[in-house]
Amino acid sequence: MKKYFLILTMAFTIVFMGCSDQLERTPVDSLVEETAYRTVGDLQLGLNGAINGYSPNQLVAFNSIFTDNIKLGYDNGGQELNTYNQILNADTGDRGLWASRYGAINDFNRLLEAASAITPGTLEVDQYNNILAQCYAFRALMHYELLLYYGFNFLDDSALGVPYVDYVSAVALPARNTTSEVLIGIQADLDNVLALLPVGTNDINFATADFVTFLRARIALESGDYPGAINFAGDIIANYPLANAEQYLAMYRNDANTVEVIWKYDSALGANLGLFSTWNFNGPGPFMEMSNELGGLLEDSDVRSTVNIDPASVPDDNEFIVGKYGLNTDEQAINDFKAMRVSEAYLIRAEAYARTMQFGVLSQNDVFAVRSIRNTSAVMPSHTSIQTALVDILAERRLELAYEGHRYTDIKRMKSVLNIGIDRDASDCVGAVPCELAINSERWIFPVPTVEINANPNIGQAAGY
Amino acid sequence: MKLKLTWLMTLFMAFVMQLSFAQEKTVTGTVTSAADGLPLPGVSVIVKGTSRGVQTDFDGNYSIKASTGETLVFSFVGMKKSEKKIGQSSTLNLAMAEDLAQLETVVITGYAGATNSSKITSAIATVSSESIEQIPINSIDQLLQGQAAGVNVNTGSGQPGQSATIVIRGRGSLNGDVEPLFIIDGVPVDQDNFRSLNQNDIETMSVLKDAAATAIYGNRGAGGVILITTKTGKLGSGVKVQYRSLYGVAVQPQARFDVMNASQFLTFQRDLLPGNQYGDTLSDADIARVAGQTNTDWTDIFFRNGKTKSHEITVTTGGEQSTSFTSVQYYEQEGITIGSGLKRFSFRNNFNTTSADKKFNFGTNLTLNYSVSNFVVDAARGGNTGGQLDNPFIVPYIGLPYLSPYNPDGSINIWGTGPTGAGGSGAYNADGTLDADGAAGFLNTPFLALNTAALNTDEEREIKVVARVFADYNFAKNLTGGASFGLDYTNEELIDIRSPLSIRGINTPNLASEFRGSQTEQFFRDMSMIANAFIRYDNNITEKLNLNAAVYGEYNYNNRQFDFYRAFGLNPGLPGSGSGFTSGSATEGDDSDVYNYIPDVGSSETELALASVFATLDLDYDGRFGLSGSIRNDATSRFIENRDGIFWSVSGRWNIDNESFMENADWLSTLKLRASYGVVGNQNLGFNNRYIGQQTVSSGSGYQNANSYVLGALIDPAIKWETTNQTNIGLSFGFWQNRVSGELDVYNNTTTDLFADKPLSLAGTGFSNVETNVGELNNRGIDLQISYNILRKTDSNPWDITLTANGNYNKNEVTSLPGGFIGNTLRTAEGRQARTWFLPRWAGVNPANGEPLYLDVEGNLTNTFSAANAVYLDKNLDPTYTGGFGTDIRYKGFSLNTLFSFQADLYKLNSSLAITEDGGLAGFANQSVTMLNAWTTPGQITDIPALSNGGLRAVSGDRYLENASFLRLRNVSLSYNIDRKILEQTNVFTGVRVFVQATNLFTWTEWRGFDPEGTGSGGFFDYPVPRTFTLGFDLTF
Repeated sequence: MKKYFLILTMAFTIVFMGCSDQLERTPVDSLVEETAYRTVGDLQLGLNGAINGYSPNQLVAFNSIFTDNIKLGYDNGGQELNTYNQILNADTGDRGLWASRYGAINDFNRLLEAASAITPGTLEVDQYNNILAQCYAFRALMHYELLLYYGFNFLDDSALGVPYVDYVSAVALPARNTTSEVLIGIQADLDNVLALLPVGTNDINFATADFVTFLRARIALESGDYPGAINFAGDIIANYPLANAEQYLAMYRNDANTVEVIWKYDSALGANLGLFSTWNFNGPGPFMEMSNELGGLLEDSDVRSTVNIDPASVPDDNEFIVGKYGLNTDEQAINDFKAMRVSEAYLIRAEAYARTMQFGVLSQNDVFAVRSIRNTSAVMPSHTSIQTALVDILAERRLELAYEGHRYTDIKRMKSVLNIGIDRDASDCVGAVPCELAINSERWIFPVPTVEINANPNIGQAAGY
Repeated sequence: MKLKLTWLMTLFMAFVMQLSFAQEKTVTGTVTSAADGLPLPGVSVIVKGTSRGVQTDFDGNYSIKASTGETLVFSFVGMKKSEKKIGQSSTLNLAMAEDLAQLETVVITGYAGATNSSKITSAIATVSSESIEQIPINSIDQLLQGQAAGVNVNTGSGQPGQSATIVIRGRGSLNGDVEPLFIIDGVPVDQDNFRSLNQNDIETMSVLKDAAATAIYGNRGAGGVILITTKTGKLGSGVKVQYRSLYGVAVQPQARFDVMNASQFLTFQRDLLPGNQYGDTLSDADIARVAGQTNTDWTDIFFRNGKTKSHEITVTTGGEQSTSFTSVQYYEQEGITIGSGLKRFSFRNNFNTTSADKKFNFGTNLTLNYSVSNFVVDAARGGNTGGQLDNPFIVPYIGLPYLSPYNPDGSINIWGTGPTGAGGSGAYNADGTLDADGAAGFLNTPFLALNTAALNTDEEREIKVVARVFADYNFAKNLTGGASFGLDYTNEELIDIRSPLSIRGINTPNLASEFRGSQTEQFFRDMSMIANAFIRYDNNITEKLNLNAAVYGEYNYNNRQFDFYRAFGLNPGLPGSGSGFTSGSATEGDDSDVYNYIPDVGSSETELALASVFATLDLDYDGRFGLSGSIRNDATSRFIENRDGIFWSVSGRWNIDNESFMENADWLSTLKLRASYGVVGNQNLGFNNRYIGQQTVSSGSGYQNANSYVLGALIDPAIKWETTNQTNIGLSFGFWQNRVSGELDVYNNTTTDLFADKPLSLAGTGFSNVETNVGELNNRGIDLQISYNILRKTDSNPWDITLTANGNYNKNEVTSLPGGFIGNTLRTAEGRQARTWFLPRWAGVNPANGEPLYLDVEGNLTNTFSAANAVYLDKNLDPTYTGGFGTDIRYKGFSLNTLFSFQADLYKLNSSLAITEDGGLAGFANQSVTMLNAWTTPGQITDIPALSNGGLRAVSGDRYLENASFLRLRNVSLSYNIDRKILEQTNVFTGVRVFVQATNLFTWTEWRGFDPEGTGSGGFFDYPVPRTFTLGFDLTF
């Protein structure tokens, strides 16, 4: 009977010995946060992931479809009707901008936290510093965008803005910071970018020193720091030429030219922004088209007409397909988002001149610099008042920055001076589609999404929602 | 048993010194069973008052020395003890009668194994082999429908081998697993895959329902446990060979909806439907001509009679120390539509042996199975919704009746016909070329479904092994130690071929590529192993007090691996072979820079480990009182900060029937009061959440398509198991020699720390929610299981009739949920039953203008549909009442068995019907005949709004929320056992049973469709459960 006892003893031993150390199971197909980031190379991978979390698409779609740059497409089967009908509610109205931006901010904050535990080797210092700089740059950009859309008043330092988040937390219930608190945070981040960027950083697919200057120009214009806007825009203008017609075409066809680009968000096969599908189906035609009004404003002599109106359009039938991000010669619609171009700097400076009562030659020249290089039949405008200047600048921005995510915020910034809201051409708002958005509508400030309101009692909803 | 021993011992002591002067002789005889006349081996034969005793041999024969006038006492488990005085003859044969008071004496419980039913303190339902054998339903879990109180079985789909969804005593979890743990012969197995296993191998299924029974399964037991025990031989029973076969045919279920015929549909299009359709172009004569030529009922084309056949040989052996059970089975079942079927080959060998002194036991269980399943594009398959146009079950609803299913030569058309404007299906252009988009379009649905079924392949080949070895050794007085190792291994190979010659294949990878089609193969491996060791102490502390205690250690490990490839551009001459794949590096296009054939590949793996120690204690006092307890510590790899959970139960019983004051109550056979309380857990958050305790970082491609890391979903590192506190009070009863017997249980189960999403601030955390332990719900209800033996077979009465019934009433309530509710139209909300419908109310059609009407929140009529008018309808997806009932009627060799199953008070959205009442689709999809009643004239009272309102399916609110309660004649069988005396003359057979049976013969329901059951919350072209007719033979040699 000894043998039985032996068998049992062995069995017991195996069972109990086996148990003790077998519970530490780590994922096979993914990494664990504590150990994922050990080297600067890991941080670089994290940066690739975090930047991928940023997307300009929500802004491109909203600024066009909500405003007067879009009408219903001939193949529409119900797509985008909410935004086209200017429905902006707390459930889905913000197109996920809040979730997307704060999600990406969290990614960058976590990356900064992971980086703080890594000491780079001598040869890695530049790469390490660049990664940190990119984190700060994108964090600044996204807080700026959040403030622009959700903040109560960009021009009022003490108005409530959005939470400025530079920490990692699983429980935080942040309240809104004031405009100035957010701007202080953004400027501190931008200072960090400049301090950290290695000398000679000039990849326009990432943040550079000029990215910082450009963003500061935008912020200065929005926050009413017009001298600052003139200075920052002037720095950009001094460093970048405007693209000539050939270069301009190449910029939007095949992404073949970047002379006037300060920063672009890169699209690649497998990591394509897919901006073309903002308005168009893949096979069949568009569900959203360029508005008749904008189609009419784009003159044949204007190279922007060629770029914005897709060759498949039939303008005589008022059929304008948005072609800014159309098919390239490889038959694929893989297009970069040219997020910061020098032409915008001219128009920022022109607006800053006009708003500081320097309308006239200074503002006219800046507008004409852009207009004349695009349109062979352009004539010098005449800015005789702040109103005429701003009307002209707004019109030029509409053409120059069409489908680049500016129209709604441009009108928002100028509406009180010009006493205008969104005003669609009657042919662009047939049926029950609203033709205008009043100047005093609550919809000039984005509602915080319901999920945030439900979870975070401190946040406070914008008025009117 | 103890009492009997004491009694025998006393007699022995009293008589041992006496001398017998009577004349001794050798008495011989044969002991048989009165019920079937079979010899009974192992019957104990003792000369009353002496220590002289023998056992009967394999053939029931015994031989003992005794004197005339002495008495022989015959005893055997389950039989009435019998005493016979020895007369002059030296031959004494006996036919032993079953002791009906002792029927169902053995119940299989968790780790303790077979236990006398009077000692059970917990709520356990037992399903025996007779009620599941030879029924043509190929998933063990499906077979449980209607068989046990409190076990709610949703059959899901009619695909042969489809696994059911089982919920025991109400939904106990929201995001976690709700199904019970399945254990076959001590090995935990995959709860969703039984198609390869042979149910004829099963001896019993025990459903463990309360904490007293399940707490011993710790953090896996909260949903209940189903223990499956397979057959073994009996010691001393000799060799028995049995051949069993089954032949059958599965036919379509009854359709409870009507769609239009060709004439109706074309006239409807022309006269009622706005817009321009084919019918608009036709005159009455045209319609008569078209409908006269072709009037297709697509139901006839898509349903077939599926054949079933099964052949099985079993060999059972029982020697003096060893027994074995071996079976081999070949099973083939066709589904009720082309391309659906299951074939399998199953093998089992169970072997048990014991040492000569009976102190050492050893055994193995092994089953090896191979199955091949063929699938159609049904609603339950993969990520399907049911709305796939190649789903065969969509066609009877929407297939156009004026399209002919046949080619001119009479063969089935699997491509479709010409342009739609001319009455075709749109698969071909006017010039006769194929229109790839049209061929995959709505009008071509019937042909697309036929095309996919005929030309494409979706097949899974599976190897399934369940194995276990075990041993125990009574190494010291009262002490037994044992150990076991078990394995559940599943290997699946899925092959999905889109033929380059099929409609689905011609645009794969794209229409511009030179070569077409794709082949996907997926390899899936699931391996669970279990190692267990124990020491048990069993002793009669005093004459009346028995103590049984055991300590166990156990380790469970599971590994799942998955990988796949998908290759493009197949050579149609080499179907299924890698030799036919186009190289991934092949290029096309003007500049030879277009890569059309780059294969997809992938691989993943997950693990789960569980280490446990646990103990049980059972006390019995005098057979009248019992107290049981269990405690288990489970340490799981799934959770990190809260790795160890302790689960426990206490339970007690009072066997009132064994009380002295009940001694004279002859009418009472069994009366036992049970009570239990315990804490059980649920750690199973699903396959995708095996690392829920660890913050993961995913690797992938990011900005500029470069490799990247991104944070996985936010986790709560403190997440832990769900905890259910279960209380059960039960009464086991049996009256009049157990002619009426049953079990009545009431329970109250509260689950706390429910897995659910806790809302988070997006701004503060970057995430909108995190899965963690929040919320609480409660299930309380009643289980009743009852059996009434109306007529009992006696020498004078050949009839034996038993009625059985079981039922469950369950009340579910979510008592706490952060955020108040989850879900949209099907909600789980605080203060309500989980999964309750929340919809705007449909109020019919306005007779004045034909517009749809709704009720607003206050109940006022309104003509606008708004999601804001949704209200809680007090209609739920889970049934309140479930159960089954049946009869067992025997007369001579005949036996008639029926089983009905029912579910009541549940509601589902009938989305299939909604499609056939949606005017917006009537241009290209057939419609219900009810659409002919569409409103046309002011004042008209009708259910169908004016067709000018367009498609209303998306704004139908609760219009299609239907009562999905049903009563089903699950199985009825009539069998005949040929008389033993006749068989004896053959010298070949010892048993012959012939039977006919019908499965799912009738279903009574208000549901308008094929089948009130289905996979989702809204029936959407589900694969219905068929009606199956079978004929079989069981031949025993």
